[in-house]
Amino acid sequence: MKKWTPYLLVSPYILHFAVFVAFPVLFSVVLTFHSWNIISPMQYIGLANYKHLFKDRLFWQAVWNTVRFLLVHIPLQLIVAIVMAELLNRTVRGASFFRAAFFLPVIVSGVVVTILWQQLLSFNSGLLNRLLAALSVPRIAWLDDPAVAMYSIAVMATWKNVGLYIILFLVGLQSVPMQYYEAADLEGATNWQKFRFITLPMINPTIFTVVVLSTISGFSLFVEPYIMTQGGPMNTTLSAVMYIYRQAFQYYHMGYSATLGFCFALIILFVVIIQRRYVEQEV
Amino acid sequence: MAEVILRHIAKAYPGGPKVIKDVNIEVKDREFVVLVGPSGCGKSTLLRMIAGLEDITNGDLLIGGQRINDRAPKDRDIAMVFQNYALYPHMTVYDNMAFGLKLRNMASDEIRQRVTNAAKILEIENLLDRKPKDMSGGQRQRVAIGRAIVRNPKVFLFDEPLSNLDAKLRGQTRIELQKLHRDLQATMIYVTHDQIEAMTLGDRIVVLRNGDVLQYDTPLALYNQPANLFVAGFIGSPPMNFLPGRIVNSDKKVSFESTGGLVRIDLSTSIHRTALASYEGREVTLGVRAEHIREQSIGLSRDNYSAEMDTLIDVVEHMGSEILTYFTIEERRFVAKLHGGATVTFDQPIALFWEVNKLHFFDTQTEQAIR
Repeated sequence: MKKWTPYLLVSPYILHFAVFVAFPVLFSVVLTFHSWNIISPMQYIGLANYKHLFKDRLFWQAVWNTVRFLLVHIPLQLIVAIVMAELLNRTVRGASFFRAAFFLPVIVSGVVVTILWQQLLSFNSGLLNRLLAALSVPRIAWLDDPAVAMYSIAVMATWKNVGLYIILFLVGLQSVPMQYYEAADLEGATNWQKFRFITLPMINPTIFTVVVLSTISGFSLFVEPYIMTQGGPMNTTLSAVMYIYRQAFQYYHMGYSATLGFCFALIILFVVIIQRRYVEQEV
Repeated sequence: MAEVILRHIAKAYPGGPKVIKDVNIEVKDREFVVLVGPSGCGKSTLLRMIAGLEDITNGDLLIGGQRINDRAPKDRDIAMVFQNYALYPHMTVYDNMAFGLKLRNMASDEIRQRVTNAAKILEIENLLDRKPKDMSGGQRQRVAIGRAIVRNPKVFLFDEPLSNLDAKLRGQTRIELQKLHRDLQATMIYVTHDQIEAMTLGDRIVVLRNGDVLQYDTPLALYNQPANLFVAGFIGSPPMNFLPGRIVNSDKKVSFESTGGLVRIDLSTSIHRTALASYEGREVTLGVRAEHIREQSIGLSRDNYSAEMDTLIDVVEHMGSEILTYFTIEERRFVAKLHGGATVTFDQPIALFWEVNKLHFFDTQTEQAIR
């Protein structure tokens, strides 16, 4: 083997990493100190982008909107995924069918799912409001009421993604040795006590993984509000990523957009560190 | 009273054959009974049926005189020590031991007292704050026993609890388990595949094969009067030597003749001669334990040993106090446990004697002992 053979073997990855990861990250850091609209040359403006960011109320509203989305999306996702995984973990007839069925939305295109849900949640012709009307319950403006719109999107996003987390929890549940439950049976534990004192602590690593994955995917919320509400009503469904996208590709504020992206990445990192501490201690 | 009675107990999985067939066992109050047998004989299944972790297909299971077939495991007042200990990895030793008591809403002072007492008995007081991953196999083993003790159950069940320990620790823990049984005065049922564990621990031993009880008796009875060929071969280390042959009755003298004709043993002084006489001409299997083959006849009266037999030694294992001497008769490997001072040399002829009254005979067809 020649001396350079190992380098040759890892070169495709290094090349990919350099072009698609390292360069964009470094370039975006450089961009945060510049003003650039793609066409004109970059102009160094020091910390002006950062100063502007702290005064930009719409950005902070978008961050808050995203947090509101996460506050519903993550617990809902966790609870639904754990409960469904528990049910699917039992040896019931058709378990394989249900496992596949629940995973299906994950592999369907986000745009398709979003359009489908837009129809379902439509104020006048949506299936959900028709059902409410049939029950003589007043219709709800699922996507037009500022107090409701973001939560409707959160439920939809949960439906779309929960299949993946069900699979993760199923794997977690199946890795808990049967003997722990048998020992608990002899100790006199009820089903709930077995779940609370054995299952939950034993699937703690999976819970952490799911919380982090859904936090990161939740923070990158874009397709759903972009198609369903375009950030409205009254910017209540404007997500942080959507705002960054607008700054970059509608207003061509590339430098400012990079600053927003950089700052937002730090916020995500901070949240994940907090989650890690909390989940590891409490669950 | 915590006697355990298994009456016509059977177990079959849906669509499958019976894995436990008509088992009848009575375990007396405070008795230590060992279920022993090779892998797949049904011993663990039987224990799990007593625990309530497996359904009973047929028969009655009684603990303390009450039929408990349909009672949930928690309502049977039993505790079980699992093969892999089943200690909850996220709990400390204290929490592991206190878990069952907490579930029963016992007062925390009482819990503390019970856990501390059990920890004292098992000498694990200094481990109470540790988690299972920070302990050795032997320490985990003690915690698993401690978890059973704190509940103060009627019956203790052990499912191969020593199988994950090394040989030295296994020996030590065996002694401690005996002591524990004496101190707790509890009924214990213990599963193992290791016949040495069974012999050293059990007041009585149940030998199982393919879901059948082959013999249920005291360790010495199993050793000295095995009911069948399987028990004879399974109990004892080194295992019993076997030699097929037939009973010959000539000139009113009953004798055994091996199939190849190399061995002929006069049985006219045997305590089993009457029973053996009725087997004339039929195929039997002779069984002899390694220690009942001797290199000299000192200490044996002429009536008690057969005519000497010359053989060539294949392998010699010096164990210190004894010598395991291997030789071949009619293509069957034999082992004799000779005194440590005996002069035995590899590949040298030696005269060996068989103690006639210590020989066992089995019907080759039914495998049952002839007595």
